[in-house]
Amino acid sequence: MPETIKDELIALAAKLFREGKISHFLGYQKGTLKFQTTPLIALNPEDLQHLWLEDFFFFNLAFYLKEIKNKVGLLVKGCDSRSLLSLIKEGQVKREDLYVVGIPCPGQIDLRKVAEAIAGEREEIEEIWRQGNEVHVRVNDQEKRLPKALALLDKCLHCRYPKPLISDFLLPGEYAPPVPPATPETTQGLSRGRDELRPKPLPEKWAFWVDQFQHCLRCYACRNVCPACFCPRCIVEENMPQWVSPLPTAGDNFVFHLMRLMHVAGTCVSCGECQRVCPMEIPLMRLHDKMAEDLEELYNFVAGIDLDQPLPFRTFRQEDADDFIK
Amino acid sequence: MEERREAEIKEKGWEPKILAFLCRWCSYAGADLTGSSRISYPANVRILRVPCSGRVNSLFILKALRSGMDGILVSGCHPGDCHYTAGNYNARRKFAILSRLLEYVGIDPRRVQFSWVSASEGEKFAKVVREVVADVKALGPNEMFRLDPGNQNGGKPAASPP
Repeated sequence: MPETIKDELIALAAKLFREGKISHFLGYQKGTLKFQTTPLIALNPEDLQHLWLEDFFFFNLAFYLKEIKNKVGLLVKGCDSRSLLSLIKEGQVKREDLYVVGIPCPGQIDLRKVAEAIAGEREEIEEIWRQGNEVHVRVNDQEKRLPKALALLDKCLHCRYPKPLISDFLLPGEYAPPVPPATPETTQGLSRGRDELRPKPLPEKWAFWVDQFQHCLRCYACRNVCPACFCPRCIVEENMPQWVSPLPTAGDNFVFHLMRLMHVAGTCVSCGECQRVCPMEIPLMRLHDKMAEDLEELYNFVAGIDLDQPLPFRTFRQEDADDFIK
Repeated sequence: MEERREAEIKEKGWEPKILAFLCRWCSYAGADLTGSSRISYPANVRILRVPCSGRVNSLFILKALRSGMDGILVSGCHPGDCHYTAGNYNARRKFAILSRLLEYVGIDPRRVQFSWVSASEGEKFAKVVREVVADVKALGPNEMFRLDPGNQNGGKPAASPP
């Protein structure tokens, strides 16, 4: 991103600090690892010099609004803005306390996918850059070209909201999906038809998820990173009664993950952070996508796009689906 | 505990354990009517009275499965009849999403069933219970959630070590 845009953003944020409109500004700074950014929590205009807008800004900064209950300015990508709408709808933040700066997103690179595509290790990657419709990777002094589908996060390949849905200021740039929607399926459904597991017979599905969940360490990274999980005390920490044993056994992992899903139903905007942070690489987004599609199919509800639409479990219609009830 | 259970199964044959969450105003009264009308229904069902089907948290259902219940039945008032006006409408949305999720992770929808039974439907309650018991008998014991030693009912060791 050109330096002029960065300067413009710093000037804007500094002005907001001076006018007392914000007490924190959330952005990205250069990380200590290659191809990583770290969230920047600026408390004063001086901190803003660390802002870094180059690439790899995959964090969903709406996450910090769970803890910073103050007047906050923040950078959002199109998808992150849905988290903001969800949090406003849940009464966790107030719209007037936010100053939202939209940032154009060219689609975020998934380092796991890149490492897989070049059949190498993440550490071996020397450089990554974008050119036209491809992502170029330099490994061991060799240049490799990857199509976007093999280099971007899954959610970016099905990006429906490239432009922030709420914003006070949009940084100049192109707000377009990184991959043009090829078929009506990719634009209408979040992942409809993508998941090869769905038509399979029940025992196969169960075997798949047992295999995934028995590796779960119960580190709770998925819960901790989730912008939709904002309970001050999580039910997994309750011990009177104890709903879920803290031992990471497959059975309890099932209870934990299904419970987590039900708790974020309607607030989850499929930002994909849970899957990204999972150290055991459990494909949690399959569950979230499935739930999001069910909500859309049954109740015509898409999380985080419309402030006036009530949360799906807080409303009902008399003609709701009833066919599964005797 | 595990040995006792296995001995019991060996002796009497396996009988499913069904947990039924019945709403206090309709289904529980319906079950009461089944009894007072002397209609018999399988004794596999353990009834838990709840104030409203809307009180049934999806966690209750998951926890019951985890604790070794072979089947779950959740029953409440017919739509429009809720004592609290809309409890069952709200519950219906939750259950629809939960049952689809359970199906997606490979749990047979027949293990977790839902029904509307009013206070005057003693006959229907017996029929629902008979159907649920027959379904769960056909599915066999719930071994799915007894995969590891963490089970509080003394489960078996993991099917395959992680």
